[in-house]
Amino acid sequence: MNDLQNALLAGQFRYILPEIVLAVAATGIFIGGTFRSGRYLWSWAALGSLVASLFVLTITAGFVLPSGEAGRTATFSTPLLFDSLANFVRVLAIVAGILLVLFSWNEVPDRHAADYLACLLVIIGGVGLTACANDLVSLYLALELISIPTYILLYLPRHDDAAQEAALKYFLLSIFSSALLLFGFSYLYGLTGTTNIAAILHTLYGQGGGDMPAVAQIALITVVAGLGFRITAAPFHFYAPDVYQGAPTVGAALLASLPKLAGFIALLRVLGFVTPDGVLVPVAGRPHVLPGMALSDQVPILFWFLAAFTMSLGNLLAVLQDNLKRLLAYSSVAHAGYMLVALAAAPYLSERSSGSDGVHALLYYLVAYGVMTIGAFAVIAFLSTPERPVDNVEDLAGLSGSHPYVALMLAVFMFSLIGMPLTAGFTGKFLIFFGAMNVVGEQADLYRWLAVIGMLNAAVGGWYYLRIIAVMYLRTALRPIQGRRNVPGLVTLIVCAVLTIGLSIPPGANVLLDAVKNATGIKSTPSPIAQR
Amino acid sequence: MFSDPRYYLWLIPALPLLAAAVIGVLGKAILRDRSHWLCIGGAIGACILSFMTLSAVSGLEGDRIDGHRCIRIYYTWFHAGNVDIPFSLQADGLTAVMLVTVTFIGSLIAIYSVGYMHGDPGFPRFFAAVSLFLASMTLLVLANNFIVLFAAWEGVGLCSYLLVGFWYAKPSAADAARKAFLVTRLGDVGLFLGILLIWVNFGYSLEYDVVFERARSFDNHGLLVVICLLLFSGAVGKSAQFPLHVWLPDAMEGPSPVSALIHAATMVTAGVYLVARCTPLFGQAPEAQLVVACIAAGTALLAALIALTQSDLKRVLAYSTISQLGYMFLALGSGTMDHRLAAVAVTAAIFHLFTHAFFKALLFLGAGSVMHAMGGIIDMRRFSGLRRLLPVTHWTFLCGAGALAGIPLLSGFWSKDEILAVTKQAGQPGSFASGIYLLLFFIGVATAGLTGFYTFRAYFLTFWGEEKVPHEAGHHAHESPPVMTLPLCVLAVGAVGAGLVFGPTGWFGGFLEEHWVNPEFPRRLLSDRAEHAHDYLVMLFSSIVALTGVGAAYWMYVRQPALADSLARAWTGLYELSRNKFYLDDFFYSMIVKPLTVLALLARVVDQYIVDGLVDLVGQVPAFIGYAVRPVQNGLVQFYALLMALGVGGFFLAILLR
Repeated sequence: MNDLQNALLAGQFRYILPEIVLAVAATGIFIGGTFRSGRYLWSWAALGSLVASLFVLTITAGFVLPSGEAGRTATFSTPLLFDSLANFVRVLAIVAGILLVLFSWNEVPDRHAADYLACLLVIIGGVGLTACANDLVSLYLALELISIPTYILLYLPRHDDAAQEAALKYFLLSIFSSALLLFGFSYLYGLTGTTNIAAILHTLYGQGGGDMPAVAQIALITVVAGLGFRITAAPFHFYAPDVYQGAPTVGAALLASLPKLAGFIALLRVLGFVTPDGVLVPVAGRPHVLPGMALSDQVPILFWFLAAFTMSLGNLLAVLQDNLKRLLAYSSVAHAGYMLVALAAAPYLSERSSGSDGVHALLYYLVAYGVMTIGAFAVIAFLSTPERPVDNVEDLAGLSGSHPYVALMLAVFMFSLIGMPLTAGFTGKFLIFFGAMNVVGEQADLYRWLAVIGMLNAAVGGWYYLRIIAVMYLRTALRPIQGRRNVPGLVTLIVCAVLTIGLSIPPGANVLLDAVKNATGIKSTPSPIAQR
Repeated sequence: MFSDPRYYLWLIPALPLLAAAVIGVLGKAILRDRSHWLCIGGAIGACILSFMTLSAVSGLEGDRIDGHRCIRIYYTWFHAGNVDIPFSLQADGLTAVMLVTVTFIGSLIAIYSVGYMHGDPGFPRFFAAVSLFLASMTLLVLANNFIVLFAAWEGVGLCSYLLVGFWYAKPSAADAARKAFLVTRLGDVGLFLGILLIWVNFGYSLEYDVVFERARSFDNHGLLVVICLLLFSGAVGKSAQFPLHVWLPDAMEGPSPVSALIHAATMVTAGVYLVARCTPLFGQAPEAQLVVACIAAGTALLAALIALTQSDLKRVLAYSTISQLGYMFLALGSGTMDHRLAAVAVTAAIFHLFTHAFFKALLFLGAGSVMHAMGGIIDMRRFSGLRRLLPVTHWTFLCGAGALAGIPLLSGFWSKDEILAVTKQAGQPGSFASGIYLLLFFIGVATAGLTGFYTFRAYFLTFWGEEKVPHEAGHHAHESPPVMTLPLCVLAVGAVGAGLVFGPTGWFGGFLEEHWVNPEFPRRLLSDRAEHAHDYLVMLFSSIVALTGVGAAYWMYVRQPALADSLARAWTGLYELSRNKFYLDDFFYSMIVKPLTVLALLARVVDQYIVDGLVDLVGQVPAFIGYAVRPVQNGLVQFYALLMALGVGGFFLAILLR
C-alpha cells in the first residue's frame, strides 16, 4: 500500500460524515433510551439527526473528489466511492427515513420508541453505505448494517407468536441469503484476487466479456440470489408475505422500501451496471458490449427469467389475498419484478441511442415505488386502532364516507400501483416497458415478450388494487372506521400522495428524471453504442 | 386599443363564452330570473365589436394591417412533435359579414327570448346554452384553420343538441335532439375525413391560407374532388341537405327562439359558410360543384314540395329553411363557368344567407309569438283568422312571408334572383355541364313558385279566415309583450329593406369582393372586377312565378277554402306523398335504423353471453393459477429455505447448461 492509497483511505472519512452523524445519533438514542422513554422525544431526536445528516450530505457532496491519477487509484483501491449515484441514493434513503419517522410517530409504543428509532437510523446509514460501497467487504458490511437492526426492529414491538415467528423467519432466511452472497463473493475473490469491485469488473471485463468461465457464472448466480432476497425476487421472496403480515405496519413499510433500495443499488454496483470512469474500457472487436454485460452475456438472461417469474408469481398470489399487508407484500414482489425488467433490458439500452435507459427507469421506479408503497402502508397504519384494526380488505368498507380524503389518497396510491396515467407508477412502468420495447438487435423479440408479460401482469395487478378501491367507495361498513387524530401520520400520507402525483407531471417529473440522469450520467461509462 | 381590431377580435367569442360560464355556474342558485341580462349583454357586446370589426375590415385596402389583407391574431393552441396547431383567428370580409349577421340576429333573439321563456324552470339553462352557442358560432366564422373550425363546428352541434332537447322531459324533444345530433355527426365524419385528407396532402398544414395556396398547384385532381365532396358532406349534415335533412323538421321541438336562431338564421348556414370559405378548393373541382348544385336544387324542390301540405306552422318554416339553404348551395355550386361567375356566385350565396337570416328569424319568431298566444299550439288546423288578435305579429309575419316568397323589392327577391341569375349563366351553352345547370335553373324557378304558395298558405291559414282560437289558449289570447314584438319589428324592417339597400346598390357584393373574394381568390382566377349586372329577364320571370304562387294560395285558402280539400282528394297519392315527407323518414327508419337495431341486439347477445363469458373465464385464470401455486407458501421456514436453494439450483441449471 503506497502513500497515495493511505492518503485516500484517510480522506474517506470526511465523505461518510452523513452516515457518521446517523451512527452517533443512533448510539445516543440507544443509550438515552435506557434512561428516558417517550416516543415524541426520541422521534424529534431522530428527525433532527436525519435532517442534520441530510444537511451534512449537501456539504460533503460539494467536496472535491480525487481526480486524475489519484481518482484512478481511488477507484481501484478504496472501499468506498462517492459518486453522484451514491449521493442520489443517500438522499433517497434519508428522505425515506424522514417519512418513516413521521409515519411511526404515533405507532410505536413509548417503551420501544428509542430502540426502534435508533435501529431505523442505523438502517438508513447502512443503505447510504451500500450505495457508496466499492469493495465486496464494505458492501457486505453495509448490507449487514441493514439486516441486523431489522431483526431487532421486527422483534421489538410485539411479543405475540406472529411477531416472533415473523422475526425468526426473517432472521433465518436473511442469514441464509447472506451466506449465498458471501459464497458468491468468495468465488469472485478467488477468480480475480481482489475484493475491490472496480478491480473485479476490470479484471473480468479484460477477459473480453461474453461467455464467462463457469466459476464466474456460479458467482454471478449466487450473488444475484443473495441480493434477490432483499429485493424480494422470486423464489427468494417467500419470507415477505409472512413477515409483512406478522410485523407491525411500520416495520412492513420499512421492509418493503429500504432493503429493496439497498438490494438494487448493490446489484447495480456489483454487476457493473454503473461503474466509475476507467473501469470498463471498450475492447476492440466487441463494440456492443455494454456496462451490464461486464460480467457476462448471462446477466440479461438471468434477469429476464427472474423478472418474468417474480412479477407473475407476485401478481398471481396477490389476487387471492384478503389480508392487506399480505396483499401489499405480494404487490411488492410484483413490483420488484417490474424493476428487474429494467435491469434485464439495461445492457441493451443507452440513453443517447434509443432515448431510454434501463438504469434510469429502475431508479425512477424505485422512487415511485417507495412513495406509493410507504403511502399505502401509512394509510393502513393511520386507520388502524386497537379497537378496530384494519387488517383485511373488507375492513376498508365505507372509507369514502367516513374519511373521504384518506380514501382519495389511498385511491391515488392504488391507481399509482396499477399504473394509471398521471401517477408516478404510470411514468415508471412506462419508462421500464418502453425500454424493453426499445431493445434492438437479436434480443429484440425476447424483450418485447418480456414487456408483454409485464403488461399482462399489470392488468392482473389492476384486479386486486381496484378491488380495494371498490370496497372503499362502493361498500358500506357495519362498523365505521374510527381513526384518530394523528398529524404526523397524516403528513406522511399527504407528502406521499403529493409526490405520487407530483413526480409524474412537470415540473416534478422533470426534476426527478434530471436527478436520475445526473446520478448515473456523470460517473457511468458512456456505452460504446453511444460513442459510435 | 379600439383602433386596432386585433386587440378585441378575441373578445367576440369570449364575451358570450364568459356569459355562458357565469350563467352556467351561478344561474340556478343566484341569477335565476336575471340570467338573461348576462346573455344579452354578451350578445350585444359581441355585436358592437362585430360592427367595429366590419368597419375595420372595410377600412383595409389592399394590404394594410401588418401586410395582411385580413385581421389576424395568433396563439399556439397545442403542438405535438413538429406539428403546431395554432389557435388563430382572422377576420376578412366574409367573416365580418357572418359575425354581424350572427351577433345582430342573436342579440335580437336573446331579447325576444326574455319574453318567450319567461317563467320556464330552465330559464338560466336556456340563456347559458344560447350564450355558448353564440360563442361557438362566432368562433366558427373567426377560425383561421380547419381544426379550430371543426372544434367550433362541434360546439354549435352540441349547443343545438342542448337546445333542441331543452324540454328534455318530453320524449319527442329528447328524440329530436338525439336525431339532430346523430344525423349531423354522420356528415361530420365526412368533414373530418376531408380535413385529414387536406392535412396529409397539403403538407401537414390546416391553415386556410396555406391550404388554399397549395391547392392551386395540387395536381391530383381526383383527390381534390374527393376532398371537396367530403367537406361538402359535413355541410350536408349541418345545413340539412338531402339526404341528411331529416333532422331539421324534428328539431322544431326546441323553443321557437332556438328554431329562429340556430335552425334558421345561423347554425344551419355554417355549411354554406364552410363551402363558401373553401371556394378556392371547390373552384378547382367543378365536378364537386356540380354535385353540390344538383343536391342543392333537389333539396330545394323536395323541401318545397313537402312544405306544401304540412299543417304544423313551424314545420312549414323548417322545410322552407331547408329549401332556402338549397338555394344558397345552388349558387355555390354554380360558379363553375369562369372565375367571374364564381365570384358572383359566392357573393350571391352569402347575400341570400344574409337576407334569409333576417326574414327567416322573423318568421320563426312570429310563429313563436303565435304559439305563445295560442298556449303552445302550433297546428294551423286548430286556429285561424288571428290578424286582429295579434296585429303586430300579423304585420311582421307578412313582411317575412313576403320576403321569403320573393315578392318584388323585398329582401328575398334580390338575393334569390341573384342566385337564379347565376344558375342561368352557368347553364349558358358551351360551358361545363350547361344542360344540367339549365335544368337546375328551371327547378330553382319552379321552387320559387312553390315557395310563394306554401309561404302564403301558412300565412292565410294562420291569419285569415274566421277567427278561431284553440281552447288551450284560454279566453285571453293576446298579443305578445313588447319585449317580443320589438325584435319582430326590427327584423321586419330588415326583411323588407335589407335587400333594397344592399341588392341593387351592389354594396354587399362589392364589399365581399373587395375584402374577401379578390384577395382570397388567385389573381389569375379573376380577370377583372366582377360585375353585378342584374338579369332583368330572370327577375321578371321569377317574380311572375312567385306571385302566381302567392295568388294561388290566396285563391285556395281565402277565396275558395273548399278547393284545397277537393284538390287533396283528387290527388290523394301526391298529397299523401308530400304530407308524409316522401316517406323518407320511414325509408331511413326501415332501411337503416331497423337493421342497425337488429345488429345491435345481436351484438348485445354476443357480448353478454359469449364475450363476457370469455372475459370472465380469462379473469378466473390468474386466480386459478394462484390457487394452484398457493400451497408453496405454507409458512414453514425450512421449506422456504429449501425452495430458495432449489431456485439457485434451477438458475445454475438454466445458465450453466444452457
